Amino acid sequence: MLDEGPVVDQSVIAELRESVGDDESFIADLVATYVDEGEGHFAAMDAAAAAGDAAAIVRPAHTLKSSSAALGAMRLSQIAREIEMAGRAGDAANLVARVAEARAAWDATLREMAAAGLTK
Amino acid sequence: MGRDAARDGRGRFDEVTDVALIVDDSAVNRQLLARHLASIGIDAREAVNGSAALEALRAPDSNVGVVLLDVVMPDMDGYETLAAIKSDDALRHLPVIMISGIDELDSVVRCIQLGATDYLPKPFNPTILAARVRASLADKRVRDLEVAHAAEQAALLKTIERQKEELARFLSPQVAALFSSPEGEQLLAGHRREATAVFCDLRGFTAFSDAAEPEEVLGMLREYHAKMGELIVGYEGTLEHFAGDGMMIFFNDPVLQPDHVERAVRMAVAMREMFGGLASKWARLGFELGFGVGIASGYATLGRIGFEGRYDYGMVGTAVILASRLSSAAASDQILLNPRAHAAVEELVEVEAVGALQLKGFARPVEAVNVLGLRTVAAAATA
Repeated sequence: MLDEGPVVDQSVIAELRESVGDDESFIADLVATYVDEGEGHFAAMDAAAAAGDAAAIVRPAHTLKSSSAALGAMRLSQIAREIEMAGRAGDAANLVARVAEARAAWDATLREMAAAGLTK
Repeated sequence: MGRDAARDGRGRFDEVTDVALIVDDSAVNRQLLARHLASIGIDAREAVNGSAALEALRAPDSNVGVVLLDVVMPDMDGYETLAAIKSDDALRHLPVIMISGIDELDSVVRCIQLGATDYLPKPFNPTILAARVRASLADKRVRDLEVAHAAEQAALLKTIERQKEELARFLSPQVAALFSSPEGEQLLAGHRREATAVFCDLRGFTAFSDAAEPEEVLGMLREYHAKMGELIVGYEGTLEHFAGDGMMIFFNDPVLQPDHVERAVRMAVAMREMFGGLASKWARLGFELGFGVGIASGYATLGRIGFEGRYDYGMVGTAVILASRLSSAAASDQILLNPRAHAAVEELVEVEAVGALQLKGFARPVEAVNVLGLRTVAAAATA
């Protein structure tokens, strides 16, 4: 059911490009930042999920949700949002499975971004 | 180079480089916001959480004009940061724009209640970002100007107060007050009214100055001026000038005093008593000095007298000359009044006639009286 939305919403990317005057190198820098940072969020989410610590998963999920939305990674953003909500609700059940789901979306996002020539 | 030079202290208002502090734990958000801000001419500084933001804002060289603040951050979140900014006197007025996702509107409301200026929805729309940041910076600039203006006003007022204090040391307090009163300029320009002039000086002073050591003369004059000065201030006389042992004081100007003659006479009597104390002290040192007073009331012209760079507030008229002549004619311990002044205080004073005085500059003799003393209340009532 979470597979419904696009992995990367190209219209967001198009708007982003336009807003920075088609500065491709800036977009590439931004995506590189996103990738670096994303790895850190996943590490934090993995640790929180493994420990069953719902509270600790809120912040990395929140930030991943927000950065992903900024770059049009809507599917990952949506999953991260649900993880954040679950964390806020103190719901530690299924955290490992949810993070795995996010990881799959992350991989798909990176593939699409590479295919679109967004990564260096 | 010119820009950096201008930023070194001087000309902060002329060279407006707006600086925004982005507080967000997401590097993607910070990078994107910084880019959008740069495109509208705003330099961005970045902080990864609230503690780092406060450190940057409290740095002595902080020139941040607006804060873009994320809500959810590690270590110190948006609420805590906002509360810290709003409870810091130096930062309280800094505009804070909350960065918020569409699903965080509740927290935005809470932040605005806590003092945030505005909010910026995520994902960022560069046009909305520019509008909100510019509005906040404009508000801040107006406020900064108001604060600077208020500080200038306060400094100006302080200067004026200090000038007034200094003036009051050189001028009679009543004259010093004219410079800050609405009708002062008009009074300074010159006006005619009835007034009472008082001249007093010491008998035997010239001989004393020749015989005594200069230090002795100065010390004695200082004591004499101090004691007489207290009485002049006490009776609210306007001291026009003193020259050596002589003084001229007038009443009913610039402040109106319906009882101006009475004040002049009461002051003169008090001066004579005061002088008695001083004289007996000096007598023990071997100096015989006397004190004489001339008082005349009449119409006179009062106002600024002199020339640009050296003006006095003075009184000009027959009454002034008459008071001066009466003072010269007075023997030691005499207080001579002209008939007009005498008529005004007849019921208050015991006098003796001194006869018709031929005074220099006056064609007709002046029927002056000498004040022996003030009547007691009971005597005045039956008079």
